[in-house]
Amino acid sequence: MASKISTGLVGLAVEANPRQKLNILYNSILSVVSKIPATASYRKYTEEFANQQLKKLDTIKDDVQLEIDLGPGQFEEVIYNAKAELRLARKMISWKPWEGLVVQPPPGQWDWP
Amino acid sequence: MASLFRSGLRLARNFGTKATVLGSHSSITRYSIPSCAKYSTDVSETSSGIIQPTEQIPAVRVSPEIARQKLVEYGNFVSECLPKFVQQVQITHTNELELLVDPEYIVQVISFLKDNALSQFTNLSDITVVDVPTRPCRFELVYNLLSLAYNQRIRVKSYTDELTAVDSIVEIHEGANWYEREIWDMFGVFFKNHPDLRRILTDYGFDGHPFRKDFPLSGYYEVRYDDETERIVREPLEMAQEFRKFDLTSPWEAFPKYRKPAELPPPPTETEDKK
Repeated sequence: MASKISTGLVGLAVEANPRQKLNILYNSILSVVSKIPATASYRKYTEEFANQQLKKLDTIKDDVQLEIDLGPGQFEEVIYNAKAELRLARKMISWKPWEGLVVQPPPGQWDWP
Repeated sequence: MASLFRSGLRLARNFGTKATVLGSHSSITRYSIPSCAKYSTDVSETSSGIIQPTEQIPAVRVSPEIARQKLVEYGNFVSECLPKFVQQVQITHTNELELLVDPEYIVQVISFLKDNALSQFTNLSDITVVDVPTRPCRFELVYNLLSLAYNQRIRVKSYTDELTAVDSIVEIHEGANWYEREIWDMFGVFFKNHPDLRRILTDYGFDGHPFRKDFPLSGYYEVRYDDETERIVREPLEMAQEFRKFDLTSPWEAFPKYRKPAELPPPPTETEDKK
């Protein structure tokens, strides 16, 4: 985006190469998530999301249209969110949330009133 | 397996193959127009009854049915992704989504909600505790989160008792610092890994946790200025009139839908050697 001077957000600098960065980020999300068992829903949804975004990166050539389609916010915000998702994916491998519920709440805990 | 749903609030399991997004676009200019749930996925998908705002038409509030349906889909998404952490998902009649979470995994759930690209609950609105003394784990921790990207709120609830410590979420949300201090001061719930857990609202030598239900309204001590010693003194409470408690319960039944069946003793069984 050669024409963008400022994001308008404090602390978020303009990205010179958003497409390349996003490509790298989504592909690394896919590689991290592939370490999770295929039955896990998190893997399914995250792969779907990353593939959707990569497809948009490939098909939409116009930068302005891409910024609108790629997700809520500007390129810089989308990059920030992709980095956060990558961090989360790495943590999910160690947390293993796809295993079933282990601890039941004490009886009557969630009754209301 | 997937978390349990209350029968009265049974959530539909009709999410499609697309990852559901409580979508909203902010425009590419810096002054993004806040909008209610709009889908930001494939261009070919229909907007399902949501009118996109333009310069002529301002953002129209999403109808409660559509808003509820979107929250239901999102709740299903979260419970599918985190079955180990989330015990239940429920939605109130005012369309507020609540995740009921195991206290060991509060940090993980809130981390997921903050970092996941489809959730982005980056704003911590509030942390409180509800004291329900009749339960074994009397304190119900409540975390209220807001997603600015998608303009949605969510509530994460957990539980603990007086002696069990809970992980602090200050590493994820800096704003939790004072909220957790307040909870420690007022209820006595200890937060592990909190950088600075000390009293915040009560007086410096104060004993006790005032917001607990067994703490009296007037407290135990009163404070006054004493002329002889020329300083503030703290003495046990003396009231001129004894505390009047009014029973304000209505003679009519308040919650007919939550009626519990009366517990009758089991009928006496006829034994053969009864004479």
